[in-house]
Amino acid sequence: MDARLDMFDGDMLEGDMSIPGAPKRTTTQNGVPDYNTLDEPIKETVLRDMRAVGVKFYHVLYPKEKSSLLRDWDLWGPLVLCTFMATILQGSSSADSMADNGPEFAQVFVIVWIGAAIVTLNSKLLGGNISFFQSVCVLGYCLTPVALALIVCRVILLATQTRLLFFLRFVTTTMGFAWATYASFIFLGQSQPPHRKPLAVYPIFLFFFIISWLVLSHN
Amino acid sequence: METPIPDDLLQFRDYSNTSATNSSAPAQINVNSPTHSTGSATGGSASSNGRQRGDPLSDLIYDMSNSVQTLTGGGSANAAAPGGGADGTAGSPGAGTRLSFLTIEYYQQFFNVDTYMVLERIANSMIPKRAAGNYLRMNIGENPDLYGPFWITVTLIFSIAITGNIASYLHHATDAYQWHYNFHLVSYAATCIFLYANVLPIILWALFKYSLKPINDTDTIEADSANYTPTLLSLMCVYGYSLAIYIPVSILWVINISLLQWLLVITAAMLSGTVLIAVLTPALRNSQFSLFLIIGILGAHVILAAGFMLYFFHSPQDPLSPAYAALQAPTPDSIDGVLPSVNRTR
Repeated sequence: MDARLDMFDGDMLEGDMSIPGAPKRTTTQNGVPDYNTLDEPIKETVLRDMRAVGVKFYHVLYPKEKSSLLRDWDLWGPLVLCTFMATILQGSSSADSMADNGPEFAQVFVIVWIGAAIVTLNSKLLGGNISFFQSVCVLGYCLTPVALALIVCRVILLATQTRLLFFLRFVTTTMGFAWATYASFIFLGQSQPPHRKPLAVYPIFLFFFIISWLVLSHN
Repeated sequence: METPIPDDLLQFRDYSNTSATNSSAPAQINVNSPTHSTGSATGGSASSNGRQRGDPLSDLIYDMSNSVQTLTGGGSANAAAPGGGADGTAGSPGAGTRLSFLTIEYYQQFFNVDTYMVLERIANSMIPKRAAGNYLRMNIGENPDLYGPFWITVTLIFSIAITGNIASYLHHATDAYQWHYNFHLVSYAATCIFLYANVLPIILWALFKYSLKPINDTDTIEADSANYTPTLLSLMCVYGYSLAIYIPVSILWVINISLLQWLLVITAAMLSGTVLIAVLTPALRNSQFSLFLIIGILGAHVILAAGFMLYFFHSPQDPLSPAYAALQAPTPDSIDGVLPSVNRTR
């Protein structure tokens, strides 16, 4: 916008100023847009948030640029993934089975959320400079490859099981686990002091290992 | 202070002995903070893993300021450690301030370890005689950490649960039996291990404190070491690290040869039991019940190892094992004749 300066005798001057070279930002601070969202239709609001979530899923699957997950964190993705995985992983709730087979829905939920909280707390205690929710957001979104592996395993389980199919499930789960650990290492690795990086990475490895184990042993 | 004139600077000044007014520990450079590299046996080879020690002057200032904090701040745990944290000097709380236990900085002092320190402590817990004689007091006592014990216990819980399930699966691989995963093993393992790693140090700490041998001569050098009881954190740290040997052993327990399993129990319990006794010797010496304590510590360790093996990994001829309990789940009809006590609830 150009500067307009109307000079006239009278009460007041008005005008606009544009600062050349300032970066155009749609948000002045994290998550708060500076345009008026009160009047826009709901569909637009929902679509904007869904687009943000979708962008984050994309960045987890192809981890090249990291700032979008870290800067504009949200917990929708982790919630969706956790609920989806817990629904599929829960043990058979048939009333006539004496022993519980797989984990209950609540157990998977607790493992994912409390596990992410503990891993985040650990990296903060070791002196990392990442905020709590950013780290929980990253760990939750990095469950995407594991969830994909779970879908593939579920499809494989529809056939009668043989050694080969078990080996296929094992390979799929391992690939999901490795992808998830690599992606979260890309996002979280820089926030730790260098001589403590293995100490901070090991709990992330353990977290994804346990969840991948739950995926693999589901049958 | 008045500005010193040149003649003043050349005057010899007599400074009063600070230890006369301050009865805390004598001045010492705190060499166990993670940016200083002396391990117990490896000498100076680890210096490259520490903080960037490029500038000798800033390193000297850093060392001296840590020692000053130790003198003036009172508790070494509060004052020296937050300043020695990994994020450098900027932004850390001031020297000597008492930290509230509601802040995260208070707990950061228990995580003040580098990678090589954790690895060093794990190695010291598995190999007897590797640690120096004053390991408990000088190394762990000065810088007890909670990172090692916590993550070793968590790893052990999940490794026992996972390998226990693998063991029961492998035992039924030859049957036409539909193997079911038993998630309860995680809860049982967790309870067991957390009780051992937390309650036993508390009991031991109380026993050490209240069974101190009365000292009858007032020689200060003797009295200092004769009064020594380990802190609760040091004991929890030592016990936590002593469980590290069971992680590889639990993977080997999957092999279903009974003799091998018992051999592993005895070897692992002996190794880490010996290390425990060797590390705790300075404190055991001061106790009246030293023999009973030694027997108790070793006994608890052996019982833990044997209990793991018998409950999680032993072959299912043993009716107590959960592998046998897993057989109680609905099974295909073909095995009915083999297992007389199958619980058919379908």
